[in-house]
Amino acid sequence: MKKILLSVLLSAPLWVLGQGFQVNLQGQKQIGMAGAGSALALDEASVFYNPGAVTFLEKNSVSAGVNPLLFKSAFKQSGSNVTENVKNKIAPPFEFYAVWGPKSNRWKLGLGVYTPFGGLVDWGNDWSGKYSLTSLNLKAIYFQPTLSIKITDHIGIGAGFVYNHGEVNLQRAVPVNFPDGRSGHTTLDGTGKGYGWNAGLYIKTLSNISFALVHKSKVVTKLDGGTAEFDVPNSVRSSFPAGNTFNAELPLPATTSLGVGIPLSQSTVLAFDASWVQWHVYQDLTFNYAQKVNGSFVTKSDRNYRDGSSFKLGINHKASDKLALRAGVGYAFSPVQDGYVTPEAPDADRYILSAGIGYTPTSHFEVNASFFFEDVKSRKQKNIETGLDGTFKTLVYAPGISLTYKW
Amino acid sequence: MVGEITMKKYILNSFVAAAILFTAACKPEIETPAGTTAGQANFSKYIAVGNSLTSGFADGGLYLEGQQVAYPNLIAAKMATVGGGAFTSPFFSDAQSNGSGYVALTALVNGTPTITPVVDKLAYRDAAKHLTKYSGEIQNLGIPGMRVDLSFDPTLTFSAANPYFERLLTDAQVGKTNYFQFIQGRNHTFFSLWLGNNDVLGYALNGAVTIAGDPTTVLTDKVTFSSLYSNLLNALTAGGQKGIVATIPDVTAIPYFNTVTVPALLAAAKAINPAAQAVFIQTGTGAVRAATAEDLIRLPFQSAGLFGQGAIPYGLHPLNPITSDWVLDKDEVIKVKDYVDSYNSSIKSLATSKGLAIADTYTYFNQVKTGIALQGVNINSAFITGGAFSLDGIHLTPRGNAVIANVFIDAINTKYGSTIPTIDITKYRGVKFPDTK
Repeated sequence: MKKILLSVLLSAPLWVLGQGFQVNLQGQKQIGMAGAGSALALDEASVFYNPGAVTFLEKNSVSAGVNPLLFKSAFKQSGSNVTENVKNKIAPPFEFYAVWGPKSNRWKLGLGVYTPFGGLVDWGNDWSGKYSLTSLNLKAIYFQPTLSIKITDHIGIGAGFVYNHGEVNLQRAVPVNFPDGRSGHTTLDGTGKGYGWNAGLYIKTLSNISFALVHKSKVVTKLDGGTAEFDVPNSVRSSFPAGNTFNAELPLPATTSLGVGIPLSQSTVLAFDASWVQWHVYQDLTFNYAQKVNGSFVTKSDRNYRDGSSFKLGINHKASDKLALRAGVGYAFSPVQDGYVTPEAPDADRYILSAGIGYTPTSHFEVNASFFFEDVKSRKQKNIETGLDGTFKTLVYAPGISLTYKW
Repeated sequence: MVGEITMKKYILNSFVAAAILFTAACKPEIETPAGTTAGQANFSKYIAVGNSLTSGFADGGLYLEGQQVAYPNLIAAKMATVGGGAFTSPFFSDAQSNGSGYVALTALVNGTPTITPVVDKLAYRDAAKHLTKYSGEIQNLGIPGMRVDLSFDPTLTFSAANPYFERLLTDAQVGKTNYFQFIQGRNHTFFSLWLGNNDVLGYALNGAVTIAGDPTTVLTDKVTFSSLYSNLLNALTAGGQKGIVATIPDVTAIPYFNTVTVPALLAAAKAINPAAQAVFIQTGTGAVRAATAEDLIRLPFQSAGLFGQGAIPYGLHPLNPITSDWVLDKDEVIKVKDYVDSYNSSIKSLATSKGLAIADTYTYFNQVKTGIALQGVNINSAFITGGAFSLDGIHLTPRGNAVIANVFIDAINTKYGSTIPTIDITKYRGVKFPDTK
């Protein structure tokens, strides 16, 4: 008769992907143009931006680059006078590309290794949203072997197979207090894999205006046997068993892009990209645990994402044979609806600004640098599930550099 | 050579300086008005009038940790950003930090709690359990057990009988004053008044049985309540001060009456003897009948060791029912709710006529009863796990105090156009769970 059942102490562990986790950093030249360039056969990064354009590249090449990214997010609870900031942590999105094909032939092979999704957010263990999230480290590394074929002198098609290696580490506080008053803590850690494809069409008209249509498929990444650790007082340990594991599915969305390239002169070209990011695949997040957590094997959390989109305009200007200058602007619409914004992806519509520079000292070597800036609009939200109520504001800074060898 | 090193150093330092400047400059800013104005209110001297809830009473006792997170103390700390002054409270000393003593959760096995008294560092000064005196100015005037009717105690004896009140009085005052006199003459500029709970709770906590000669178990007459409450407000606003009053929570919304339920008792009885048919209670009228889910059993019954005991099993046979003092039967529940509604309608109309802010804790606790999600924490009125109520099933945890303090702050800000910042409830704990199995 004395038995008092432990009621539900906490809601499901959360895991959200937003525009905030789509990392638009896949090639220094394109980054310098705000991410536009699917309709330009600029360089080996076309393996990502448009496999159909790869066959139009004049040279074979390999390149490697990195874009250390600083995601600076701030939060202020509604009614509070305290602004809390994420810790300064540098995420390292990177890209590696290789393109090769016999000079006289109409086909080229490509390989891309890049990080189209990811997130590194550490709010610390004692901030006011700690029961929603303390930190998240998410990496998705895509490996993409690609074949590109020139159908005519004006039309190229290409396609690549995508293998995704995903890693996630998600932590948050649990509102169960130890005798010294501190909160419990949970860490979910896992790796997974998923498959998809990337295909593109490149058309270069007689007037030299070029068009692109590219579709990158969704990649459902399956996490099997991730570890679920709960640091809780021993008296409630039976509700949060030790040595627990989880399975989860993480749908990374498909993106369809339309691109236009417009040469303004011999040395200057404009690029415009419109992308439709099909986040509607992300309706809920479900964790299946090997052992019951707080009385249940399953936690399901609604996400209800809608599709997102972005518009990017960039310019590439060859100041001399050796020097190229680039700039870009863009705007992206968030897929996260009101009531579903979380500290993992404090997402909102955003402005994009970028600049870039390229230097080609010899016909074989090329170095490119870029600076990418995103201003994510301030967004006041009350999360429907957690009740986390406040305003998020985020700025993203990503300088980058790459080295290329061509032959 | 030297010049070259200096140059390198200069360049390096410039890079470091640039990096620091960059990092500082690129911080996102969020502008809000919180903490900028007192509006039409003046918070320079805030006093809090009330009962155990105001004093920070928790876990069945008054002790330092609870005092420090009493809702008025949390509010006062936030008022500091909008012109609020110091806020003094009759804290127990560190050496006597456990005050009156309280209870702690020492084990939880398969959901069954073991609750143990904490008996060290007590503040009793004699065998009669008088508490160590506190002298000096105080602004948290909350006194556990205080009632609206007893604030005007004409016999002046409650000041001697209530150890929490006696503790704050000089020897010359003991037995010669009442709470109404005690709270006056304090030169306040702002006040909160959350009083009246015990005018009905004292009766309900005793199973709706009034003990002869014990004024704390009486149900205060509705008209008397209204008239005395009006006197309190007149005194507190005598100098034109602004303030906030709070409504009285539905006493049936607290874990004290919702943890030991009739269905749970019956299920436990059936587990031992499948033939058990019903739980029997004695009602307030003296009648004996089978209990229903609408009859509420008091929380301490779970550890009273009575149920099912005896040759005629206690509570399971009409000849040996659960006695009336353990039970708030469904008619008594209706009666108690009726009094709470009446008190609240008096509080609201009196406050409105005085132009005061109202913290509607009645409505808020009813929301808590069904469960709310605040800043990533689910809070409800479940015993132990709900997070809002302490181990006595009546008073608030630190988290519960923070939540209620925000209800006050929101009401003050709305009424007076002030921008007292709200409290981060996630900084405050719920019940402490033992780290042993």
